[in-house]
Amino acid sequence: MLAFFWIAATLFTGVGTLNLDLLTTSALKGGYFEMIVGTMCLFLGAAGIAGPIGVFAAIYLVEYAPSGKFTRIIDQAINNLAGVPSIIIGLFGYTFFSRQLGFGVSLLAGWFTLALMILPIVIRGSEEALRIVPQAFKQAALALGATKWKAISLTTLIAAAPGIVTSVILGIARVAGETAAILFTSSVIITGGLPSSPLQPVMSLAFNMYVQIVARGRPPETVFGIALILFFIVLAFSLVAIILRVYYRRKQPWLH
Amino acid sequence: MGNTKHKISSFFLNLKSQPVEIVLLFCASFSILILFLMLFFVAREGALAFSKFGSELLFGMKWDLGTNLFGGFPLLYGSLMVTFGALVIAIPIGICTAIFVSEVVPFSLRDPIKTIIELLASIPSVIYGFIGLLIVVPFIASTFGLVSGQTALTASLMLSIMTIPTIVSVSGEIISAVPKEYKEAALGLGATKWETIKTVVLPISKSGILASIMLGFGRAIGETIAVSMVAGNQAHTPTSYLEAVYTIPAFIATHMGEAPVGSLEYSALFGLALILLVITFIVNTLADAVVKRGIQL
Repeated sequence: MLAFFWIAATLFTGVGTLNLDLLTTSALKGGYFEMIVGTMCLFLGAAGIAGPIGVFAAIYLVEYAPSGKFTRIIDQAINNLAGVPSIIIGLFGYTFFSRQLGFGVSLLAGWFTLALMILPIVIRGSEEALRIVPQAFKQAALALGATKWKAISLTTLIAAAPGIVTSVILGIARVAGETAAILFTSSVIITGGLPSSPLQPVMSLAFNMYVQIVARGRPPETVFGIALILFFIVLAFSLVAIILRVYYRRKQPWLH
Repeated sequence: MGNTKHKISSFFLNLKSQPVEIVLLFCASFSILILFLMLFFVAREGALAFSKFGSELLFGMKWDLGTNLFGGFPLLYGSLMVTFGALVIAIPIGICTAIFVSEVVPFSLRDPIKTIIELLASIPSVIYGFIGLLIVVPFIASTFGLVSGQTALTASLMLSIMTIPTIVSVSGEIISAVPKEYKEAALGLGATKWETIKTVVLPISKSGILASIMLGFGRAIGETIAVSMVAGNQAHTPTSYLEAVYTIPAFIATHMGEAPVGSLEYSALFGLALILLVITFIVNTLADAVVKRGIQL
């Protein structure tokens, strides 16, 4: 608890190093513009891939999965995927997406690699959201003659939508500052401008911070601005997710 | 036999009538597919080093490109040392916080505190590394009179802050799942709040707490970026927590960029990754089993 305030307080001491012009200035002139856009491109694309797959997986697990060995294996696999260290996700992304599938060091490879990190979060969050929707909603649709899929997609899924969106946003918060996974798959230290296609590499805040400090040996104070922007982005997504969750918990009367 | 055959054919018939289910089943199986691909590709790239060096990759003392020596022992030792240090700090704090939040704190304060712990968990590791460099490294250097504050202790401290949310959220969930009747029975017999926690709550939730520690271990040993920023990154077998260390993930992160694809060094790095992957697999699977057994009790 205290640790959080300590970290927030430390970062705020660096507010002075930040001015609004830097946010829109190109990196070639010492600004952060490409890094911010690159970071956003990365996590939005990753969420776009992991979101649908995660939601479908959750629907299967909640509504269709028979309680048997195979379901238990799926469950275990999701937990294990969530526990794989990000550096290994990054190595895998490099050998599989960048080299085997020929994506190269690109935005596209980064999307798929980061999607692997979002996926378990989306599945778990969506599962929870689907499970708390009362069976009666679905049964009413079934009684009116809807097929199982129709009943689920028209009632359960819609009732669970806020919870599902929350889980995707949480997933984004978790990977917005991810460094190890994009180290070899999608980021470079400087580009001439914004990427014009998904097959080009991008700049990103987290990667830049890391490389400036570790590879180039710059003193940490020089990346204060980047750290602060990244912290704000992550904080914003986490807070939005939490506020959404609290808001809809109040709004959905069947939860009480 | 006949029965199985019937089962299998009706399974496929069902799939035919329900194309949606095929899509759903595929998405759900996706995680399994990815894990297999991950094992396969990491093992394939590491195969060269394993066939050439075998167990030396795990127990060899020296990593030297010039003489083609790839011994990962200092790295494995560094990883375990830093993780152990982090857990020694994180376990007491994490468990006390979990007990405090789910047993002592008034109900209305529980959600805000949980929210803050969640926020702590979502801070990117590169920011932890940055804070570590900015504050903890100089602090350690001046406290112990060292030339550089980038030590195993620094890494352990940062890792412990990153591990605490995992321990708190997992063990907190189990602790608050202890049935209210059990606690009320103890309180009714005249036990104090602390006695109730010690004799009723903790014994019932001990498997959950154990699982949370194992998950914390898995998170700490795989942590890359923050550790590589504050641990000093020197590949030798350290004798104290005040020396610089290199961990497996940090070593991979800093050396992958320079290793030519297909070279021995490249393969050896994947060999290290395979070791790490297997360690985290085992720990996570065990943690899952412990939680499931705990719930049945």
